[in-house]
Amino acid sequence: MKKLKIYSKIFIILFFFISEASAIQDTSIKKQSDEIAKMLKCMTCQNLTIYESDTEFSKQIKKEIYEQLKNGVSKNDVLEFMVQRYGEYMLLKPKLDIKNTLLWILPFVLIISSFLILLVKLRKN
Amino acid sequence: MKNIFNKIPLLFTLFLFCVFLIFLLQDKNPAHPPSALLNKEIPRFQAEDLIKNNFIIDEKILYGKKTLINFFASWCSPCKVEHPMLIEISERHSDILLIGINHKDKKSDALNFLKIGNPYEHIAVDSEGSIAMNFGVFGLPETFITNEKGKIIFSHIGPITEKIYNEKIKNLL
Amino acid sequence: MIYTGQFLIIFSLLNNFISLLIFFYNLKTKSLLIEKIFLFLTRLNTLLIFLAFLFLMYLYIISDFRNINVFFNSHIDKPLIYKISGVWGNHEGSLLLWILIMSIYTFVFSFNRSLDNKTKNLTIFFQTTMILGFLVFMLLTSNPFIVNLSNISQGMGLNPILQDPALAIHPPLLYFGYVGYSLILSFALAGLINNKIEISWIKTAKKYSMFCWLMLTFGITAGSYWAYYELGWGGWWFWDPVENASLMPWLAGIALVHSLQIANNNTQIKKWVIFLSILCFSLSLFGTFLVRSGVLMSVHAFANDSYRGIFILIIFFIVTGFSFLIFLIKTNTIEKEPSVLVFNKFTALIINNIVMTIACFTVMLGTIYPILLETVTNERITVGAPYFNSTVVPIVLPGLLLMAIAPTLAWKNNKLNEKKSYLTIFLLIIFLLLATYMFSDQNLWGLIGISVGIWIIIASIIQLFKKNAKKQIRLYGGLISHIGVGILILGITISSIWQKEFIVNIEVGEEIIVNNYKLKFENLKESKDQNYVSLKSKFIISNKTNKIGEIEAEKRYYPVSKTVTTEAGILHQIQRDIYVVLGENLNNEWLIKVYFNPFISFIWIGAFIMAIGGFISLGRK
Repeated sequence: MKKLKIYSKIFIILFFFISEASAIQDTSIKKQSDEIAKMLKCMTCQNLTIYESDTEFSKQIKKEIYEQLKNGVSKNDVLEFMVQRYGEYMLLKPKLDIKNTLLWILPFVLIISSFLILLVKLRKN
Repeated sequence: MKNIFNKIPLLFTLFLFCVFLIFLLQDKNPAHPPSALLNKEIPRFQAEDLIKNNFIIDEKILYGKKTLINFFASWCSPCKVEHPMLIEISERHSDILLIGINHKDKKSDALNFLKIGNPYEHIAVDSEGSIAMNFGVFGLPETFITNEKGKIIFSHIGPITEKIYNEKIKNLL
Repeated sequence: MIYTGQFLIIFSLLNNFISLLIFFYNLKTKSLLIEKIFLFLTRLNTLLIFLAFLFLMYLYIISDFRNINVFFNSHIDKPLIYKISGVWGNHEGSLLLWILIMSIYTFVFSFNRSLDNKTKNLTIFFQTTMILGFLVFMLLTSNPFIVNLSNISQGMGLNPILQDPALAIHPPLLYFGYVGYSLILSFALAGLINNKIEISWIKTAKKYSMFCWLMLTFGITAGSYWAYYELGWGGWWFWDPVENASLMPWLAGIALVHSLQIANNNTQIKKWVIFLSILCFSLSLFGTFLVRSGVLMSVHAFANDSYRGIFILIIFFIVTGFSFLIFLIKTNTIEKEPSVLVFNKFTALIINNIVMTIACFTVMLGTIYPILLETVTNERITVGAPYFNSTVVPIVLPGLLLMAIAPTLAWKNNKLNEKKSYLTIFLLIIFLLLATYMFSDQNLWGLIGISVGIWIIIASIIQLFKKNAKKQIRLYGGLISHIGVGILILGITISSIWQKEFIVNIEVGEEIIVNNYKLKFENLKESKDQNYVSLKSKFIISNKTNKIGEIEAEKRYYPVSKTVTTEAGILHQIQRDIYVVLGENLNNEWLIKVYFNPFISFIWIGAFIMAIGGFISLGRK
């Protein structure tokens, strides 16, 4: 019973990683453009994505994204283009790099290690 | 082992207090992120000059001497507020090259705007906003300073006031 | 006369100060009469603050713009009800509300008869100290009673976004939760110092913590619902710093409410109870710091000021630091029972506490990480919704799964027999989930969310009917709350993952097909209301056979502040909302956005049922 609980929990965490990796890629340019617009922050608004915002700035960015995709630029290169100019600040999802290690790893380390400690204590009895 | 857990809340509180105190004392503006171009080379651009007919400006002008680049527009009211300060800077530092980038504006409106004075040596016409995009500008006015080697050493979003000039710009020029 | 408010505040400050002196004096003297005077001064303080608050409200109602706070935040043309809610719609006024609510809680607590006097008085002492601290903060940096005697006939405060019923009630509801936790912190410190964390302490703490949590639930739900219909893109949670600031105490509050239910005399759980009691208000303090100091940009942070920020940071540090110091000192001396851990109710509760605490920590980490990073490297990043969705959701998952079976677990040992049925259902659901995922194109997280939601609802209903409800009334409220959580999860999952958005152009009088529904742009009317000009568009939505309903989407122009707001038109149905936003027009065509939000009603219904369960738990005894 206990084992099953633990295994199913690990199962679920694995599924999370798998699902992130295998997110369905939509091929139409408009859809790709929308996807990218949803990953970028509107610099002239309070907590809105480029996709949601209707400001002059956002419209210009949306246009630029669309033009670049039409010209065959890859999704990653479009994002890189924006980051080079407006900074990582424009990315809504923090990059998975060294400076953000603590941010991404700490929550999972905490939860897994607390469960392991709990398990060890349960086993003792 | 248990004792460590009891200490953690207190230590974490101390940590938060120190970090935020330091942050508050640094006086940052949450609406103005630091420029992504700091310490990077000037981005490439090419545009017509607003005043000198048939004259094309590109980033090569900016190499060889210290430059102050100012993004402005006639429809931007803080730009009007900072304009006298820019004129003063151009007079005080005659060895500095002052470049204006006229962003998404009408030629006639821009020329009108400059009637109160023109501190710029050259003014690039950025009618579509592509130069602004290359510089990562999203709000006016924004000002950059580059060194002789073409590296961006300073940027500021918002009007240049006397205070900002004294505290941050004077020493760089 | 206009200085009345100012006098009342200064009077209250002096009163509190004397109150503290009397408390210290009475530590030696221990006179019953002086104790009575102490209680009297405490209640007097509440009255003074209440009168000051009423006075400010009066100034708003009569639009006396000599008061600077009224001048900046009100306007003659504001409807009366928003003049009143304008009192707390700004930094200074909301601070006064904060102090008032702290005082009200202290007032109510002062009439408690089940506690020993030592603990009761010490609690009131801590409350009074904090109230005093906030009064000093208010007087020095955020005074709502500053007067400018020149004759001003009009005010400046006519922000249309603030003129809304849900937003009007949102701060008071929230504060009754947020600020109420101050009493629990004081109470925990007092109990800890006097070594009186026992039955009567626990009983009292249970009631206050449940009430605070309920108020917080209502406040957060009101805020979310407002965002949903006001902000125009069908969203209701943005992981905005200010939202996170209210979510953190809510999560800690859940852990506290659960821990108190089974506290009794177990040392382990007592430690958690004290820790969580301190944590809740610490998070409230930190949250209010984040919102008022200007360190973070957010949709509704108040106007910021570094000086105010440093002051609040110091208050946070003193209160939280002192509390956790006492926690450290006192809990080291508590005798440790040999910890025997079996998979029973206590363990389930500890897992719940761990999950809630880590989830809470994750929300905090995400919220403050940009500041941490910028302090060290001078780079600024954004930690947006994607981060929180990727971390908080998986972390909370184990707790949610456990929620369904935890109420059935025994106290001491684990009986495997009962659990076989749950195990079977659980495995069945996992199997169905995997099968559906393998053979269809559906989103994995959507399936997980639905499975978890259904799992919780079914398991809770089974327990509700299995246990003789009359015998186990103490579980009744909890089970109903859990059913509410299940419904909430279904609502969140389905409306997020299967939401459909359509951006279309339509002319007045035209009928188009959207998502297999017929949408007709019936008419467009312009009208003038109290302080704005309105453009109302009416749409009729029908399916193949008949009309489903009418939707009115609006654009408002407020001439004084020169702003335009859009009011979404929403057709609410249990199985989905149809949400229409009027955009721009070009020539004769209007750009409109149409959203289909399936089962979004379950979010509000689920939250409501959660609260009902809470009320039932509060009501018994």
